[in-house]
Amino acid sequence: MKRSWTHLARTAAVGAVSLVMIAACSGRSTTGSSDAADGQVTLKINFWGDFGLQDLKAKYESEHPNVKIQLNSGEYNAQHEDLQKKLVAGNGAPDIAAIDEGFMVQFRSQSDKFVNLLDKGAGSYESKYLPWKWKQSLSADGKTQIGLGTDVGGLAMCYRTDLFKAAGLPTDRDQVSALWPTWDTFIEVGQQYTAKSKKKFIDAGTNLFNPVLGQQPVGFYDDQEQLRMEQGPKVAFDYTVKAVQSGLSANLVSFQADWDKGFTSGAFAVLACPAWMLGHIQQTAPGTKGKWDIAAVPGGGGNWGGSFLTIPKQGKHVDEAYQLLEWLVAPEQQIEIFKKVGNLPSQPALYADPAIADFKNPFFNDAPVGQIFPTMAQGLTPQYLGKKNGPTRVAVENVIRRVENKSLKPDAAWSEAVKEAEKAATS
Amino acid sequence: MSSTRAAPAPPSRRPAPERGRRRADDRRLTWRNRLYRFDMRYMPYLMIAPFFLLFLVFGLFPLLFNAVVSLRNYRLDDPTLPYWAGFENFSRLVADEDFWNALYNTFGIFLLSTVPQLLLALLVASLLNRRLRAQTWWRVGVLLPYVTPIVASTLVFSVFFSRDFGMANWVLGLFGIGGADDPIDWRADKTHAWIAIATMVNWKWIGYNALLYLAAMQSIPRDVYEAAAIDGAGQWKQLWRITVPMIQPVVLFTVILSTIGGLQLFTEPMLFDPNAQAATGGPNGEWQTIAQLIYKVGWRDLNLGYAAAMSWALFLIILVVAGLNYLLTNRLSGGRR
Repeated sequence: MKRSWTHLARTAAVGAVSLVMIAACSGRSTTGSSDAADGQVTLKINFWGDFGLQDLKAKYESEHPNVKIQLNSGEYNAQHEDLQKKLVAGNGAPDIAAIDEGFMVQFRSQSDKFVNLLDKGAGSYESKYLPWKWKQSLSADGKTQIGLGTDVGGLAMCYRTDLFKAAGLPTDRDQVSALWPTWDTFIEVGQQYTAKSKKKFIDAGTNLFNPVLGQQPVGFYDDQEQLRMEQGPKVAFDYTVKAVQSGLSANLVSFQADWDKGFTSGAFAVLACPAWMLGHIQQTAPGTKGKWDIAAVPGGGGNWGGSFLTIPKQGKHVDEAYQLLEWLVAPEQQIEIFKKVGNLPSQPALYADPAIADFKNPFFNDAPVGQIFPTMAQGLTPQYLGKKNGPTRVAVENVIRRVENKSLKPDAAWSEAVKEAEKAATS
Repeated sequence: MSSTRAAPAPPSRRPAPERGRRRADDRRLTWRNRLYRFDMRYMPYLMIAPFFLLFLVFGLFPLLFNAVVSLRNYRLDDPTLPYWAGFENFSRLVADEDFWNALYNTFGIFLLSTVPQLLLALLVASLLNRRLRAQTWWRVGVLLPYVTPIVASTLVFSVFFSRDFGMANWVLGLFGIGGADDPIDWRADKTHAWIAIATMVNWKWIGYNALLYLAAMQSIPRDVYEAAAIDGAGQWKQLWRITVPMIQPVVLFTVILSTIGGLQLFTEPMLFDPNAQAATGGPNGEWQTIAQLIYKVGWRDLNLGYAAAMSWALFLIILVVAGLNYLLTNRLSGGRR
């Protein structure tokens, strides 16, 4: 009896201790930074994919012996969701958080949770950045800047030279660009192509809608946060429905299995292509090497994707974090990152650098990538993105998908799009 | 009890020594006795306490906190709203067509998955209960889908059910359905999307339920079947008249478990959508389940208060449905519990 009692007691004690440990773990605040006694500072950076920071980390640490950098790469959506949760919780956020432009609006509207970089003297950067890039992370009243831009996607059109040739279209990139100065002419070229080849021209209606919308002076919302469906969105939507109705679209959904297969099978001949898409095509369809080329986007400019570095206010080493942030967006580092992973900087002055300007991509017929994308990125007019921009875009994209899968008649599509957008605006 | 121990002592006019003796008595009994009593009385509670403590921290507290949040305006993108919302979130819920659509989807997928799932599991279990070659191999085999990570299997199924190059359409094409000219777009309408998602759920859970049934079936005495066979009951009749009533508690258990699981369905519909992170469950919400809608409202629309109200609604719906299922299954399998 006694033996079993001590045994029990021991088990209970172990149980109690582990319970306390569980409680301790969950209760401990995991702030990204911790102070050691000797003034050492640890700065944690959260991002996704590869930002090309590995070598820069070592360099910065050797220049600043009191700083240790912790790189934390995660999954794209998970990182943004995690940041949002940590902001709500009030602690646990990293010292520097990368935010993609797709999530920027959401975080910009919580600008009180981030360090206002204007207070730190970031105002001098305004002139160095692409104007729309600077504006993307600026709060609605223009008084708070929550992040400094790192890369931009730019936007061009990637097309299959072999398919164009088979359909009797020119294949030279300058001639192709000249084929479609506007979206109307783009759709005409598509009609020629489908008539001749009996194949689809573009990958998806949504990938036509977004670039056209991006070129309009006013997007879904004006700067008073009012939904403005009758202006920009209507223009983009009409082009899209026209293209879908003329049978130009392969009706695929980006980053889905069928879409990926479409690159190899030639399910479409052209698609809207930001700088980072080049890597995706090379990985998904390695067999199509040399069959691609890059032309200008109709309508004169565009962007898809790109990120910012921000400093959540809850951090303990805001000043050190800002120092590091400034260093990371400085020209030398930005060019280093471009060389390493191909992310195009968002500061136009850097586009003249030979490392960027002379860069050609052999997979795409030696297209002068370092010339094309900067031109496209610079051609874009800044557009105000409303707080509800993300959900509204998804709602309208869904209507386009319904037209594509024929569960919605094209005539009824616009009124449905307006209805869904209004719903998203008030959700 | 000390009173019963004290009772045999004769009534005395000199209470003092008695008290002294009792104290000495107690001291003699003390450690072992007390420990023993403590062991008998409190140890069981202490042993199960960790579960309840964890439940308190990770189950009950979030539940109650959620209830508080559901009565609040909790918008991440608009902190200027008044703190309390009263029952506004709930009244909005009643008029929200997205919510009813999601409820409809959830029940549709739930019926398409739970009913065939449990029936097939029953059949599989009764097959496995016979003498088979390589018995263990079969039994482990049916459990394999269950140990497959749900995200991995869903991603594979998502490709399986793709429109242009999906295996499902290829197989159906062999039987003259759909085919390459007019492939089925599994994501274009409710019926097809529901079937696709229910297939994923069924695939994963049939083996698990079959093993539960099998375990219960093995405790049924053989002579009952022999007697039934002599009375002329065939295999089918034996299954429904003997097996099912005799494994009724397990049937109830699986019904309630799959009700809860079915109404909380999230991963499958989420990853079935090519544009998964928007959580709209198809371009027109064709297969958006309630769990998905809650996620969308909370983390896409950033309206945590409303999402909390939805969670509570889901909780109540599950309680009601699980209760109904319990009664229904009890009646069907002829039990009197």
